[in-house]
Amino acid sequence: MSAEQRLTWRRRLFAFVVASVGAAAAAAISFAMTVYDAANPKPVPLAAPGQPIDTGRWTITFRDARTGSIPPTGIKPSTPKKLLMVEFDLDNRSASTSNAFLRLFTLEPPVPNLPPPAFYLARDRSVAGGLQPDMPERMIAAWEWPQAVPVPQQLRLKVTSQIHKRRDNLYGAPGWFDRDPAAVVTLAVGSGP
Amino acid sequence: MSAVLKGLGGLALAAAVLYGMQRTTPGYGEITAPRPVAGKLGHRLEGRAFAIDIAKVQLARTVATKGAARDSNFTTSGVWVLVEGTAEARTESLTLLSAEWLGANGVRYAMSQRLSSLPGMLPGQRLEPGLPMPVLMAFEIPEGQVAGGTLLIARSAWAPLAEQARVDMAGAKPADIRSGLVLARGQGRVPWTVSAE
Repeated sequence: MSAEQRLTWRRRLFAFVVASVGAAAAAAISFAMTVYDAANPKPVPLAAPGQPIDTGRWTITFRDARTGSIPPTGIKPSTPKKLLMVEFDLDNRSASTSNAFLRLFTLEPPVPNLPPPAFYLARDRSVAGGLQPDMPERMIAAWEWPQAVPVPQQLRLKVTSQIHKRRDNLYGAPGWFDRDPAAVVTLAVGSGP
Repeated sequence: MSAVLKGLGGLALAAAVLYGMQRTTPGYGEITAPRPVAGKLGHRLEGRAFAIDIAKVQLARTVATKGAARDSNFTTSGVWVLVEGTAEARTESLTLLSAEWLGANGVRYAMSQRLSSLPGMLPGQRLEPGLPMPVLMAFEIPEGQVAGGTLLIARSAWAPLAEQARVDMAGAKPADIRSGLVLARGQGRVPWTVSAE
């Protein structure tokens, strides 16, 4: 092996070492940041009833919460039911019709074995389907509350948020992706019909 | 010295080319977008899988239904758009499950689910080759989206590389918005009737 050849080998080895150390440092820093963020979660902002909450895909404004026995359609159920209803204004800020509001907010803390709520439009006392973009609606979510479990005086709701990515990390396809909760709202539960 | 300059120049050139490629590469959504077939209101549009002829579009503030399930009145914060036409399969039986109103600003409004159970609605009509079927579609859109709208019709809402009929709805004008329309059950071949209140 000539002296020149040995020199190029040494340079190659040097470049390889530099690249390896750089990649290892990047991976270590990224991992450490993830661990740090997980250990120190940001506090979720509190929102007041009547205050619009920007969740990215939706703007939601909670109005009130009440218990009742008649669903928002006005049709009395054949068997008596205890319903917990939350009224809110919802605006679809995305570019297409969507029913993703079904998972927009959850009870905090979760109630075990509680079925997901049904959603109604206050308009025409109808059942809500997909919400049209740029057409805000007054809506009502109704949970069928178990008879054995007492309804809380104060209802805490955690509102999720989503961001739009023009290209996701897997396919490069556009879509909406979950992010940290946007806000926590506390509503006083009143009683209605 | 010139070697260093050459190296730096090469690096800058590579960065510029990569940036340009990153900016101009079509995304997955564009690569797998539906294949559009363009048509116009009042003209028959012939696709490969289906043909559709949008004959009439009517606008109203409220829609009342009579004779179907129960009589009820449907209001909206925008405008109701009732689209009537005929559709026909070309080579095999199919159902057209997706119709959207594409507004002038690029926002897409799917068919209103509040009127979806009425007879003659597009997703409920099974289309057979050679047998044109009357179809009805109902949309809720803001008043500002009426002018310059396009109707997008496809076999399903997410159909990569499938055929999508795009019907230019230049005939719909905000000046034609009526206060109310009545949608009743029809007696003849067309299972509905639309009349002014």
